[in-house]
Amino acid sequence: MEHYIELSGFDLFLAIGLVVIASAISLFLHLGLTRSLAVAAARCMLQLGAIGLVLKKIFQVNSPYLVVGWLGVMLIMASREAVRRSRNKYSGINLDALLTMTFTSLVVGLLVTQMVIKVRPWYDPQYVIPIFGMIFGNSLNGICLCLDRFLEYLRSRRQEVELRLCFGATRQEAVIEGARQAIRTGMIPIINNMTVAGIVSLPGMMTGQIVAGASPVQAVAYQIVIMFMIAASNALGAMLLSTLAARRLVSNHGIELN
Amino acid sequence: MEKSQSSNTPARNMAFHCGPIHFRDPMGRHLLKGVTVSLTPPEVCVITGPSGSGKTSLLRAIGGLNNASVAERRLGGKTFSEKRLPEWRTRVTLLLQDAPCIHGTIRENLAFPFSLRNSASIEFPEQDAIRLLHLVGLSHFDLDHAVDGLSGGERHRLALVRGLLWKPAVLLADEPLSGLEPELAQTCFELLVEFAQNGPAAVICVLHEHRFAAQADTVLRLRDGTLY
Repeated sequence: MEHYIELSGFDLFLAIGLVVIASAISLFLHLGLTRSLAVAAARCMLQLGAIGLVLKKIFQVNSPYLVVGWLGVMLIMASREAVRRSRNKYSGINLDALLTMTFTSLVVGLLVTQMVIKVRPWYDPQYVIPIFGMIFGNSLNGICLCLDRFLEYLRSRRQEVELRLCFGATRQEAVIEGARQAIRTGMIPIINNMTVAGIVSLPGMMTGQIVAGASPVQAVAYQIVIMFMIAASNALGAMLLSTLAARRLVSNHGIELN
Repeated sequence: MEKSQSSNTPARNMAFHCGPIHFRDPMGRHLLKGVTVSLTPPEVCVITGPSGSGKTSLLRAIGGLNNASVAERRLGGKTFSEKRLPEWRTRVTLLLQDAPCIHGTIRENLAFPFSLRNSASIEFPEQDAIRLLHLVGLSHFDLDHAVDGLSGGERHRLALVRGLLWKPAVLLADEPLSGLEPELAQTCFELLVEFAQNGPAAVICVLHEHRFAAQADTVLRLRDGTLY
C-alpha cells in the first residue's frame, strides 16, 4: 500500500447528503420510498460500522480461532440468506444449503488462499476474511438462482420426469436436464461479470485496491483470481446443491416435492 | 441385452407377477387392499372399475411410481427389489394417463428411452417408428416436428407408439385410447393386441369402453380396492 485518503466522520456526514438527494427525488415523485430509504441507509451504516469494529478487533488479535469462528458466522448467515431468498423451499433445504456452502467455500477458499495467493500465516485475516466473504456472497447468489430454477423445473416438469422414470431412467437420468438448466442459471451472473469486466464496470475488489494505493496491475491480478474463484465456487455450489436437492426430492417412485 | 431377448424368449419364461399390493393415498384412503396381478404372455388384460376405484393407482404401483407396498415384483422367474425399479421399468413400462411429452421433437420423444443407461444400447428403430405413426394416424407429422402443438388425442397416440417401439415384456397403459375417435381407438387397441401376440408380451390397460373388455383375454374388475 502506498497511501490513501482517510475518510473522517465529517466526510461520512457529507455523504449522507447523497441519500438526501435520493429521498428528495422520492418525495418529489411520490415514490413512497423515503422511509424505506432512510431505514436502509441507517441499517447500512450500523451494519457496516459494527462489522468494521469486529474486523478491527479480529485484525488486532490475529488469532486463527477468531478468524475461523468469524468465517463460521459468515457461512451460517450466507446459507440462511440463500434459503430465505429462494422462492421455493423444501424440508431439509437449510441443511443442504449449509453443507453446500461449507464444502464449496472450503475447497475453493483454501485453494485460493493457500495455493494461489499463499497467505502466510494461513489464517491472516487481511486476506482470508475478504476472500472467503466474496466466496460466500457470490455462491449465495449462484446457489439461490440454481435452487430456484431446479425446484421450478421439478414442479413444472414433474410429468416429464415421471415419463423418463417409466422407461427405466435412473433418478439421475430423470432429472439431469433440470440440473443442467439450474447450474447454467447459477453460472450466468459470473459469466456476464467476467465478460464485461474492465469494459462496462470496474469490479469492486479491484476498485478498492486501487483506491487503497495498490498498483493497478496487482489489483487486476487479484481481480482475475477472484473472478475465477467465484466461477469455480458457483459451479461447484450449484452442482452440489442440485445433487443434494435431487437426492431429497426425487425418489425411485418419482418427485416428492409438494 | 435383456430387452432385445424379451421378444424372443418363450412365453412361459416371461410370466409376470406383482403383488399383493397395498396402497393408501395421501388422504389416508386404503385404495388397494392386497391386489395381485399375475399374467402369462401373450395376454391382453383390461382393468375396469368405477371412477376412484384405484385403477390408476394400481398401474402406478405395478410400475413403481407411487409409495404402494408391493410384496413381490417378478418377471420371467426373476424378482425385482425396490432398488432395481429402473431395471424393472425397462421391462414393465407404464404409459401415463395424461400422455406427457418431453420438450422437443417427435423423434426425441420416441427415441429418448433408447439413450437411457438401462436400454442396453438398442438402436432407435426409425423405420418402425414411421410405420407405427402411419398406423395410428400421425403420418402427416414429420419425425422432426415439435410436439408443442399436438392435441391431447395426438399425444396419446404418440405415447402409444413410444410404448410399442420400446417393446417391454409388459406394457401398462392408463387409458391409452382416451380422446380418440371410435374407429381410431379400435385400430390402436388392435395394435396393442398384435403387440402382445408378437412379443409375446402382456398388455394391461385401464379402459372404460366395454367393447374393448369384450375383446381382451382377461378382464379385471376393481372395486373398493379389491379385484373381483
